[in-house]
Amino acid sequence: MIKLNYSNKPNTFTGIWIPFGIGLGFLFIVLGIFNRVLDNYTIHIITVIGIYIMAATSLNLTNGYTGLFSLGHTGFMLIGAYTSVLLTYKVSLRAAYNLPSLPALLGGANYQWPFLPALLMGGVIAAIMAMIVGYPVLRLRGHYLTVASLGFMIIVTTMAKGMKSFTRGASGIQVIPHYTNLWNVYIWVAITIFVLWRILQSAPGRAMLAIRESEVSAQSQGINLMKYKLYAFVSGAFFAGIAGGLYAHFTRSIRPYEFSFSMTFFIVIIPIIGGSRNLFGPALGATLLVAMRYLLKPAEEALGVYGLVELIYAALLVSVMIWRPGGILGRESRAK
Amino acid sequence: MLLKIEKIEVCYGIIPAVRNLSLEVEEGQIVALVGANGAGKSTTLKALAGVLNPRVGKIFYNDKDITQLSAYRRVPIGIALVPEGRQLFSTLSVKENLRLGAYHSNDKEFKERLKEIYSIFPIIEERKNQIAGTLSGGEQQMLAFGRAIISKPKLLLLDEPSLGLAPLIIKEVYKVIDKIRLTGITIVLVEQNIKMAMRIANYMYVLEAGELTIQGEPLKLMKDENIKKAYLG
Amino acid sequence: MQGASYIYQQIFNGIVLGSIYALLALGMALIYGILGLINFAHGALITIGAFCFYFLLFKLHLPFVLVIILTISLGGFVGFLLEAIGYRKLRGGPGPSLLITSLGIYIFIENAIKLLISPQPYAFFNPPFLNRVINSFITFRVIDIFIIIATIVIMICFALFVKRNKIGMAMRGIAESVETAGLVGINVNQVIAWSFVVASAIAALTGFMWGAKYGQISYDMGFMPGVIAFVAVVIGGIGSIPGAVLGGFLIGLIQIFTVGFLPLGWSVYRDAIVFTLLIIVLLIKPTGILGRKESI
Repeated sequence: MIKLNYSNKPNTFTGIWIPFGIGLGFLFIVLGIFNRVLDNYTIHIITVIGIYIMAATSLNLTNGYTGLFSLGHTGFMLIGAYTSVLLTYKVSLRAAYNLPSLPALLGGANYQWPFLPALLMGGVIAAIMAMIVGYPVLRLRGHYLTVASLGFMIIVTTMAKGMKSFTRGASGIQVIPHYTNLWNVYIWVAITIFVLWRILQSAPGRAMLAIRESEVSAQSQGINLMKYKLYAFVSGAFFAGIAGGLYAHFTRSIRPYEFSFSMTFFIVIIPIIGGSRNLFGPALGATLLVAMRYLLKPAEEALGVYGLVELIYAALLVSVMIWRPGGILGRESRAK
Repeated sequence: MLLKIEKIEVCYGIIPAVRNLSLEVEEGQIVALVGANGAGKSTTLKALAGVLNPRVGKIFYNDKDITQLSAYRRVPIGIALVPEGRQLFSTLSVKENLRLGAYHSNDKEFKERLKEIYSIFPIIEERKNQIAGTLSGGEQQMLAFGRAIISKPKLLLLDEPSLGLAPLIIKEVYKVIDKIRLTGITIVLVEQNIKMAMRIANYMYVLEAGELTIQGEPLKLMKDENIKKAYLG
Repeated sequence: MQGASYIYQQIFNGIVLGSIYALLALGMALIYGILGLINFAHGALITIGAFCFYFLLFKLHLPFVLVIILTISLGGFVGFLLEAIGYRKLRGGPGPSLLITSLGIYIFIENAIKLLISPQPYAFFNPPFLNRVINSFITFRVIDIFIIIATIVIMICFALFVKRNKIGMAMRGIAESVETAGLVGINVNQVIAWSFVVASAIAALTGFMWGAKYGQISYDMGFMPGVIAFVAVVIGGIGSIPGAVLGGFLIGLIQIFTVGFLPLGWSVYRDAIVFTLLIIVLLIKPTGILGRKESI
C-alpha cells in the first residue's frame, strides 16, 4: 500500500486529492479483480475485513493517536447498528417481528429508510452519544477513563437487552435487509482512512498527538484538552456507528451480546498488533486477525478445540506488548 | 581502604553528570564531597548507593567490586544512604520506618537495634507511633539518620543533610553526625554548606561540573586563595 | 416483597455476595496500590481456583481441608508466575500497556481453560455439610456462613500482616515509593512477588466460594467478578484497602437489592447499575469514597 509520510505532503490539491485519487483508483481495481476472480466465500471474508478495518481505524484515532484508552467503542457500533436497522427494517415484517413502526416524524408506519441515510443516521446518533458521554468521561485520567468507557459499553449493551420493545432484547433482530457489499464497505473504509489522514495532518490532529505524549505539556502549550479529546472521541464514534450499521446489514442478524466483550477485545487488539501509530496499522491487523479467524475456526470445530482462536489472539497480544509494543508496523524499540 | 572509586562516569540518559572521578575513603573517616549545585555530588553518592549505575569505572568496597550491585543488596553488606530530602515513608509511622530500615534483621534483632536508636535519638522514641509525614524537619532528619544506621552500616552516605533546615537544627544535625562517627561508622558526606562540611570532615573533595578539581584536608584547603574566593565568599 | 424478614434476607444475601467481591477487591487493591496495575487477570484466578477445587474434590476425592489448601497454594503459584513472566518486564512502562497485557493474559487463561477443560459449564456439587440449609428468621446454607467467616478471618489476617509483618510493611512502603524501598534494602521484586501470591491465593479461594454458592463453574465465570472487583476498588477509594473492601460490600448489596427489590424486568440491569454508580462516583469524587492519594 502507499505509505503516506505525514510531514512531507503539503496541504494542496496535489498533496491531498491526487494521492487519494490514486489510492482510490488502485483500490477499485483491486476490488474489481477480486470480484471477478474470487469465490463468494472469500469475498465475504474480505468484506468482513473491511468492516473491521473501519471499526479498528476509527478506534485508533481515540486510543492510538490521542492516547485515550477507551473500551467503549463497540457501544457506538451497537448504537449505529440498531439505529440503522430500526430505520431500514422492512415495513411488512415489522409487525411480525414485534418491531415498532417509525413515528410520523421519521417517515411514518409505511416507510422504511433507504440504506445510506439510515447508515449516516446511525453514525450521527453514535456521535451525539459520544458527545454526551464524552464530556464527563473524558475528563478522567488513564485507568479511570478505561473503566468508565467499559462501563459505557456494558450499560449500552444492557439497555439493548433491556429495552425489549425497541430492540427485541437479548434475542436481537434478524432478517435485516442485506445492503452491505464489498463495494460500499470499502468506499467507507477509504473515506474513514482519508478523513483520519486529513485530521492527523491538521491542527486538531497535532493537538491530539500532543495530548497523547503528555497532557500536561499539551495544556501548557495552550491546547484545550477537552475540545480535542472530544473531537477524537466523537469522530471515532461516528465511524464506529457506520461500521456497526454496515455490520448489521451484512450479517443480517444482530444481538446485544455480539457487541460485548468479545468484539471489544477484538477491535482493541487489532491496532495494537497491526501498529497503532500507523494509518494502515489497523488495516493490517484487521486483515491478519480476521483471516486467522476464518482459517482457524473450522479447525476449532473439527478438532473440538474451542477457544483456540482467542487463545492465539491473546498470545499474540501479550507477545506484541512484551517484545514489539509498536505493533507490526511500529518501530522496533520499546521507547516510544 | 574501605571505599575506592576508580574513574567512574555516571550519566543521566546520555548526559554525563560525573566524569573520570576517583576517590578513596579510609575506614573511620568523614569524607566530604562539596561543590556547587549540579556539580555531580549527589550523583556520585547515588552511584555509591546503587541507585545509579556508572557507565564506566569501578567502585570497590572492602576490596570487593560492587559497581553493578543492586541497591537493595548494598544495605546488608553495610552501605546505607540518607537520601537528599530524606525520602521517608511519610505514610508509615516512625517505628515502621525504622523497621524497614532494618529490613534484613529479624524481629528480635530489630528490637535490640531499636533500643540503641532510641538512646541516640530520644526524640524519635517519643514519637515512635506518629506518622512520619507529620514530624518536623529536624525530627524527620533524625528519623532518616536512625533508619539508615539501624542496619548497622559500616559506610554511611549522607546527601545534603542540612538541606531545608533552620541553622539551629543544622547544628543539632551535625552534632549527631559527629556522634555517629564516634561509633566507628565511616561517613561520606555531600554538602553545599561548605563551612559545616569543613568543620567536620577529615578530607574533602571538590567537584565542579562533574569532575574532581581539588582535594585535600580542610585546613589546607581553607588556606587556598581560589577556594576562599569561589566557595567561602 | 413484604415483611422485615425479606429485607433481612436480602441484606444477608448482599453481605455474602459482597464478601466475595470484597476479597477480590482486596487482592486487586493490593496489586494496584503497589504496581499501579489493573490486574484483569485476577478474574482468571477465580476460574482457576474453582476448577482446581472441582478436580481435587470430585475427581480425586481428596479431603476438603486439603483441597482448600492445595487450591490456595495453586492460586498463589499462578500469581507468582503471572508476575514473573507477564508483568515484571513491563513494570514502569506506559499505563495502557500493563492494562492491555493483563487483559490479554486473562483472555489467554480463559480460553486455555475453555480449550483444555471444557467450553461447557460444570455443575459444582458442594460437600454435603456445606449445603445444609438453615431455616430461621432468614434462610441460608452453611456455605454462606463459611464465606462470611472466611472473609472476616482473611481480612483480619491481612490487616495484621500488613501492620506487623515486615513484608507487609514493605508492601506499604513500596506502594508509597519504590525507589525509597530499594534504598533501605528491601528486595522490591521479592515483595511484589509476594503481593501477587497473596492476592492470587485469595482470588483462587473466592473461585471455590463462587462455585459453591452458585452451583456451577465455567471457563468464563471469572470475568465479571474480576471487573467488578476493580470497580469496587475505584468506588471505595484508590489507595485504600479498607475502601476497596467497602466497595466490594457495597456492590454486593446493590446487586442483590436490584434483583430483590426492583421489578422483575430490572434484573438484567444488575451489572449496568454497578457501572452507572461507578461513573457517578468518578464524576463526583474521583478518588472514591475512602480514597486519599493517587498512586500515579
